[in-house]
Amino acid sequence: MLSVEARATVGALRLDVAVAVDPGECLALAGPSGAGKTSVLRVAAGLLRPAQGLVEANGETWLDTEGGIEVPAERRRCGYVFQDYALFPHLTAWQNVAYPLRRLGRRERRARAVGLLERLGLGERADARPGSLSGGERQRVALARALARRPEVLLLDEPLSALDARTRAGATRELAEVLRATEAPALLVTHDFTEAAQLGDRVGIIDAGRIVQQGTPSELAATPRSAFVADFTGAVVLTGTARTRADGLTHVELDGGGEVVSADVAEGAVAVSVYPWEIAIEPASERHHGSAQNRLSVEVLSMTTIGNRVRLGLAGSQPLAAEVTQAAVDQLGLRTGAMVTASWKAAATRLVTTTTGGTTR
Amino acid sequence: MLGACAAIAAGCGSDDGGGGGSASTRLVVSAAASMKEALTACAPQFDKADDASVKLSFAGSDELAAQIRQGAKVDVYAAANTKLPDQLHTDGRIDTPVKFATNELVLAVRGDSRIDSIDDLTKSGTKLVIGSASVPIGSYTRETLAKLPPDQKKAILANARSNEPDVKGIVGKLAQGAADAGFVYVTDVNATKGKVKAIKLPKQLEPQVTYGAGVVSKAAQPGLAKKFVDGLTQGDCADALHKAGFGPVP
Amino acid sequence: MRRPRWFGVVLAVSLAIALTFLTVPVVGIFVGSSPADLISSLGERGSLDALWLSLRTTTISIAIILIVGTPAAYLLASRSFRGKALVVTLIELPLVLPPAVAGIALLAAVGPAGILGGAVEAAGIELSLTTAGVVVALTFVSSPFYVRQAMAAFAAVDRSLLDASRTLGASEARGFLRVMIPVALPGLASGMALALGRALGEFGATLMFAGSFQGVTQTVPLAIYDRFSTDFDSALALSAVLVALSAAILLAVKFVHGGAALGGWQAE
Repeated sequence: MLSVEARATVGALRLDVAVAVDPGECLALAGPSGAGKTSVLRVAAGLLRPAQGLVEANGETWLDTEGGIEVPAERRRCGYVFQDYALFPHLTAWQNVAYPLRRLGRRERRARAVGLLERLGLGERADARPGSLSGGERQRVALARALARRPEVLLLDEPLSALDARTRAGATRELAEVLRATEAPALLVTHDFTEAAQLGDRVGIIDAGRIVQQGTPSELAATPRSAFVADFTGAVVLTGTARTRADGLTHVELDGGGEVVSADVAEGAVAVSVYPWEIAIEPASERHHGSAQNRLSVEVLSMTTIGNRVRLGLAGSQPLAAEVTQAAVDQLGLRTGAMVTASWKAAATRLVTTTTGGTTR
Repeated sequence: MLGACAAIAAGCGSDDGGGGGSASTRLVVSAAASMKEALTACAPQFDKADDASVKLSFAGSDELAAQIRQGAKVDVYAAANTKLPDQLHTDGRIDTPVKFATNELVLAVRGDSRIDSIDDLTKSGTKLVIGSASVPIGSYTRETLAKLPPDQKKAILANARSNEPDVKGIVGKLAQGAADAGFVYVTDVNATKGKVKAIKLPKQLEPQVTYGAGVVSKAAQPGLAKKFVDGLTQGDCADALHKAGFGPVP
Repeated sequence: MRRPRWFGVVLAVSLAIALTFLTVPVVGIFVGSSPADLISSLGERGSLDALWLSLRTTTISIAIILIVGTPAAYLLASRSFRGKALVVTLIELPLVLPPAVAGIALLAAVGPAGILGGAVEAAGIELSLTTAGVVVALTFVSSPFYVRQAMAAFAAVDRSLLDASRTLGASEARGFLRVMIPVALPGLASGMALALGRALGEFGATLMFAGSFQGVTQTVPLAIYDRFSTDFDSALALSAVLVALSAAILLAVKFVHGGAALGGWQAE
């Protein structure tokens, strides 16, 4: 079990976090750049000393600022995967992996290192230097190197962000498997919520040095506690003013024009969030179909294909996004500039009260 | 091209500029290092009197002769012996040289030294500094030592720790205590203003130290150059030389 | 947007002038005498002594500079402390000192009459007018060339490599030896080449501080100066050797650099 508590000022950032990760679990911290994600990892690893902090790993106290305990980084058994991998350029892949294996003879070190590389599918590249490896291969060497010593704790800094989109899918699967197989508690940071959702058993959203919400990925997506969390988890966020209707539903007057209805309860200034895949597109017309209560007239600004789905950038009084299938696009004859109707259910419309003057990110 | 490089290398010795503005005529003088203080003092007066701008270059006389052979653009050559000017004249490099001064070879030691004669130089461990064989101060020194009994000469030379390319190097090391003794000119000792003291050599060992100078052939300013050379025997520079301790022409 | 023609011409002419100025003297050295004369004058005693002395003193001097200068440069590159700017300036000072001034400075410091002269003598060490003195002079004038380059080389190493080394269980010392130095090696090598070139050619400080005596303190540059007036061919021959040596050193360093670019990191 890894527990990290830290209060520190890092540059302009005031860090104040407390996280705990069980053995075999992976906690993914997701947040925008500058939120302090890397700082949390560095505190855990001993590369950053917070003004106040407590780090405990599997029963050992690594840091206790109150009690005057500080185990230096080189004596903590952390497996740390750096954002740019930090592979030693003058050593081959297997030599990189074998770097932490001090007490073994050369033969055994190489055997162990090559074995780890083979498990990650890099056996034949064991003698290659990082300079001649591809991004995905380097990522795997970094991972193998972090795991070589059977660390107490695994720390990963944006392990997938340096990879191109095509490599990323496979790498995500592989990393998820490695995380499942390892018993060490793993702390992972990323700026991409989808990545956090795919790799983390639990996800913590971190912003401006603080953890604003923690939970399973679906909890965060379904019940975001703030507009920021909602936006960060990928929802469409609209701003407006809410008031309760006679029938119990909430009516929201959108800033700039238009109105929506929500099953959530709220009053006053709110952020309205709905997921792109919950928005249906209909041709612009007067007729009302189905149970969807929310309908907005929008213009198609862009169409982006993601796998077998198409993400539509839409513009009403505020921007929106919808995800539909390619088949739907063809059926509706959608093209940029077309006027359509975006519709979705009141039940899929979440409301979050915004603080006075609060803005959604 | 090599001559141009040698001319640039003429700055190897210490360079002392005379006064004078750009309108006055430039005169380039290569002089033995031992004349540094005297000529630096009298050059401004020459500049004023003859509307000149004397550029003095001091180094070992052999060094300066080699530069002239390499084509350095010099007007006047003044050496610490007559051999070098004569050789240059034979090779058509300078006009007939004249003798203009004499000097005295002395044994120089620091003011607080225990050494008081040339015999003390045979003691092992004595740090002696002399000139290199090709520079006048060095050849005078070897000439002197050759007059000693062979054993004594050998013992003294065994104590030599440096063969300096010019006499000022010897003086410098003496003054800094890096050397215990050195053979220099009496004029150099005078110039240290008491830091170094001179021990006169026995009369029979003393070499004849005569300084010779001449106008360099193909000099840019032959007329002015001749005036300067004449001034070494009679004039401001002659006075300055005498003041520094140089003797008159024999 | 097309570059104005005249600018390209100016660039080319500047390069041509620089190249000519730098190569003609070197060519002059080799053209001045026949190869046979050069080789025979190299064989005589004094020249051999000078070459051997230069080789010994330069090697020892470079060894001292590497052993002391490398950790010092690392400290300066990796830590900041009060007065750091002053320390760096002091270390770089010999760079801007004229060699003669450097010689005087050494005399004033560790010469018999110098501030530390008494201590040096008491320790039974003789420096001025000795081969040891030559090493001191060479070390003094050449070390800034190495230390500066080494500082820059260490500073350019990605910080995260050291962090990685620490998280993998290596102490800072081990990280320094096994990561910092190998990664900074091309920069260190070029610093060493500069220092080596400077030491080989050192003249003024050596003459002032250690004097000029065949076999003891007359290094190749001093020997060249000594032969200039009496045996110009010999001076040429020694100069040619020095040029060839310096060129060899530069080429060796280029090779190391080139090797690093070929097999190592590719810019990403």
